[in-house]
Amino acid sequence: MKKTIWPGALTSYLILVISISLLPAIPCPAQPRPVNYKLEVELLPPAASLLAKETLVWTNLSQDYIPDMYFHLYWNAFKNELSTLAREARQEKYFKRYRTKEEAWGWIKITSLTTADGHDLLASATFISPDEPPNPHDQTVLRIILPEPLGPGQSIKLNIEFQAKVPRNGLRTGHYKDGFFISQWFPKPGVYEEGKGWNCHEYHLNSEFFADFADFEVRITVPSELVVGACGEEIKKAEDRSAGKTTYTYAQENIHDFAWTASPRFIKVERWFKGEEEVSPEEYQQMAELLGVDIRDIKLPDVRMILLIEKQHRHQVDRHFRALKAALKYYGLWYGPYPYRTITMVDPPFRTGSGGMEYPTLFTAGTSVLLEKDVLTPEGVIIHEFGHNYWYGMVANNEFEEAWLDEGINTYSTGKVSAVAYGPGRIPARFNGLPLSQLFKLPAVYDWQLGRVISSPVAKLDSVLTSSWNFYNSGSYSLNVYYRAATSLFTLERLLGEKTWARIMRTYHQRYRFKHPRTEDFIQVVNEVSGQDLNWFFQEFFYAAKDFDYAISSVETRIKPEKYRGIFDDLPTVSPEHDRETTNQTAVSKKDKSRQKIYETIITLRRYGEIMLAPGYNLKLKVEFEDGSIDWKEWDGQSRWVRFYFEKPVRVKRAVLDPDGLWLVDTNLSNNSYARRGPTTKIMSVTTGLFWLVQNMLITMSSWL
Amino acid sequence: MAAISFLKSGFNRAGQKFKLSVYLWLIIMVVCLILVLPVNSQIRTSLGHLSWPEHSLMPFELNLVEIFLVNQNLLASYFIFFLVTILLSALLAVFLSGGLFGQMIDPVDRVSFSHFLAAGCRYFGRFLLSLVLFIPFLAVFFIVFKLLSAPLNLWSARAVSERPVILAGWLSLVLLALLWPAFKVILDLVRIFIVTEAKKVTASYASALKFLERHFFQLWGLYLLVTLAVVVISGIWLAICRLLSPARPGSLLVLILLGQAFVLFRLLARQVLIGVEYSYFSIRKDS
Repeated sequence: MKKTIWPGALTSYLILVISISLLPAIPCPAQPRPVNYKLEVELLPPAASLLAKETLVWTNLSQDYIPDMYFHLYWNAFKNELSTLAREARQEKYFKRYRTKEEAWGWIKITSLTTADGHDLLASATFISPDEPPNPHDQTVLRIILPEPLGPGQSIKLNIEFQAKVPRNGLRTGHYKDGFFISQWFPKPGVYEEGKGWNCHEYHLNSEFFADFADFEVRITVPSELVVGACGEEIKKAEDRSAGKTTYTYAQENIHDFAWTASPRFIKVERWFKGEEEVSPEEYQQMAELLGVDIRDIKLPDVRMILLIEKQHRHQVDRHFRALKAALKYYGLWYGPYPYRTITMVDPPFRTGSGGMEYPTLFTAGTSVLLEKDVLTPEGVIIHEFGHNYWYGMVANNEFEEAWLDEGINTYSTGKVSAVAYGPGRIPARFNGLPLSQLFKLPAVYDWQLGRVISSPVAKLDSVLTSSWNFYNSGSYSLNVYYRAATSLFTLERLLGEKTWARIMRTYHQRYRFKHPRTEDFIQVVNEVSGQDLNWFFQEFFYAAKDFDYAISSVETRIKPEKYRGIFDDLPTVSPEHDRETTNQTAVSKKDKSRQKIYETIITLRRYGEIMLAPGYNLKLKVEFEDGSIDWKEWDGQSRWVRFYFEKPVRVKRAVLDPDGLWLVDTNLSNNSYARRGPTTKIMSVTTGLFWLVQNMLITMSSWL
Repeated sequence: MAAISFLKSGFNRAGQKFKLSVYLWLIIMVVCLILVLPVNSQIRTSLGHLSWPEHSLMPFELNLVEIFLVNQNLLASYFIFFLVTILLSALLAVFLSGGLFGQMIDPVDRVSFSHFLAAGCRYFGRFLLSLVLFIPFLAVFFIVFKLLSAPLNLWSARAVSERPVILAGWLSLVLLALLWPAFKVILDLVRIFIVTEAKKVTASYASALKFLERHFFQLWGLYLLVTLAVVVISGIWLAICRLLSPARPGSLLVLILLGQAFVLFRLLARQVLIGVEYSYFSIRKDS
């Protein structure tokens, strides 16, 4: 056995040494990390189970004396129908993201939990339900009592042994036959917050995760025919040919989660991202000027890109790498260089329910065998999930409580990267797995365009800053924290300008890299860098469930009568502004003896939404007349409506409220403009198309009846 | 007699009575107007004065999505209206089938709208009953379909990659398309018996099933041949339409005309099918 292992181990060691020496030195910030993990796990595919040992060293970095520890045991969410996750999933009416199935249960069971000196802590362990409403049946949070309170700076070493059953097609993790995606699989302590205690929530349907930064060393043993990928770097590979097993050792510093995958149908492809090749000197220069930083600070390091792709998708290898390169480039340039040596991109094993998910230094995308060229799938997912290395991975907010801080910011960032790297992507039309773009050419759109439209209905349902398990439903959760939050950020960008916004985002990222910021921290950076008090913006668009909708309610035009009927005094009363406008026009009409028609136009603007502009902000109204002249008006938006009066010898051709499109967060942009001649051809096209479809439906029906 | 002569006979009969397709086209158009006008009205109200500059903030299709999302309450009401109209249209479809079969089988070449309506009234009750009695056949159809598609579903369920899933899905659809005519031909034949022999519905079912004992595969084959021709011509039509862009008013007009030509083609195809079935029936009924 040793004979077979040694040559492999030696080779692995040599590869490791050579690889490390070839890799550029990237500084991983040496901040104190409260957790250190050493994990050993063996995957038993026939039973779809794990046998594992965990050695955990946890250090109290607070000034508190801590009597207990809370652990996440996420897989118990898949244990039965009474878990918090299963209960929440049952309440979903329309889109069920998770369904319990008899043969699909998953669980985790700690078989031994002792301190370094052998003190058994399992006997006193209890499951708790920290969230409201409490669920006594949930077993996703375990509390253990420490032998004695842990003082400031003290560490505790725990030895844990556990078994786990991989859920079949769980949520974000699972297996299908011999394909496995393993995440949230080991007992993981919550985050201790000084003065507040443990922040350790149950596993909810809509919530993702929150954990402390840690150093990981993980040994994964699997049948040798499985191809493995994991977070961090593979530092050792040892094959036991007699047992038909291979043990992979992965290590990574300064990450807060560890996921891995194994499947016999993976192809492993490696390529390099080379900063000097991907970014031109001009681009570095422009970016340095935009951000106001030294060009040396934004130089991008080389990164080893690893792709694990299902054999059936091998023809899409280039598409995957192109998207990842774009993401590495733009996230790196805008927010800061990617600090790890590797990034692993996984096309998740078929039917494991694990696509489109992020883990530090590893993410899952997901694709289809039949793809259109102009539909940005899987590109959009790749960019988004990689981007989570920045928003969640490095800037590690609490996803349970403030999911928008990673999902919203990252959706915004994805939209930016997709736009600059690809332009708009076509909305996919598929039936039964077959792309139908040759039949139905749906429009090409930017992410922000689609995002702002689909998120408008939930503006009044929940606030963006609702705890993830307290949203009305999954739809409200995702539309609010992803798209409404992103739309609000796009709005802020347009209000503050590209340069200021770029500096805000970079400052926020740099300041909170490898930390756990809260919403207040983000607001503080926005205010600080912009030099403005934008608290009102966040109050209205993030903390409150309100809508923002200003509109051109009506445009009424009539020919001004030559004479008005009635009794008039010699000195009519008019407003100074009105007086000025009419005096000018009167002067013109006196000069031009031939009488010409004068049109009186009244444009009414209304505020349908509850949110009103803050003092100091105005909405612009641009009015174009048929003779090409343009009038501008401004409205502070405080009242529910306002009317503007125009007298011109020509009619209004077009009026646009907010013509620069600053307020993307407006829930209905379709009522922001008026044109004498609307998009008749487009309306005709839509209506006749619909008419034709209904005709055919009726013919089909009549031929069947 | 070769299949081609049945097809030819059916085609001739449909050609002689092309007016029937025009009647159907007009009636269906009225129903469509009832269904589409509220949507059109909503679109015109919300977007009729939309300023549509060259560089718009978003594609027009998103404006459409936006106004329907904003007016979700109206959408819910409209959905109920749509369903009720469709249910009423189902009754109308039975009536139209009466008119269509009555006139197609009538030995007199000339057709008129009043005769078409009269035939619709004459056969409405029996055609409706024939439809109700067809429900057990529908149940059998679904059972047979489930049984035949079971291996495909199993293949799909056990797949470890996506291709078998897609393939199984499409093969199931092909199976459905092949199987449906096998059952639909029963209902058509029952109606031919009702019209030609003025029989009661149950008696027509008995006669139709007896006739099919000997002629099922031939009739099914003829049905599939006509369907295949419709599919091929539809594909060609679609390819032609794809060459035109609806963004320009001229192209839009051509597209509208092509669209209506396709609708008329489908109605005519239905006539041809009835003609082919009747032609087969009339020649083979005594054999």
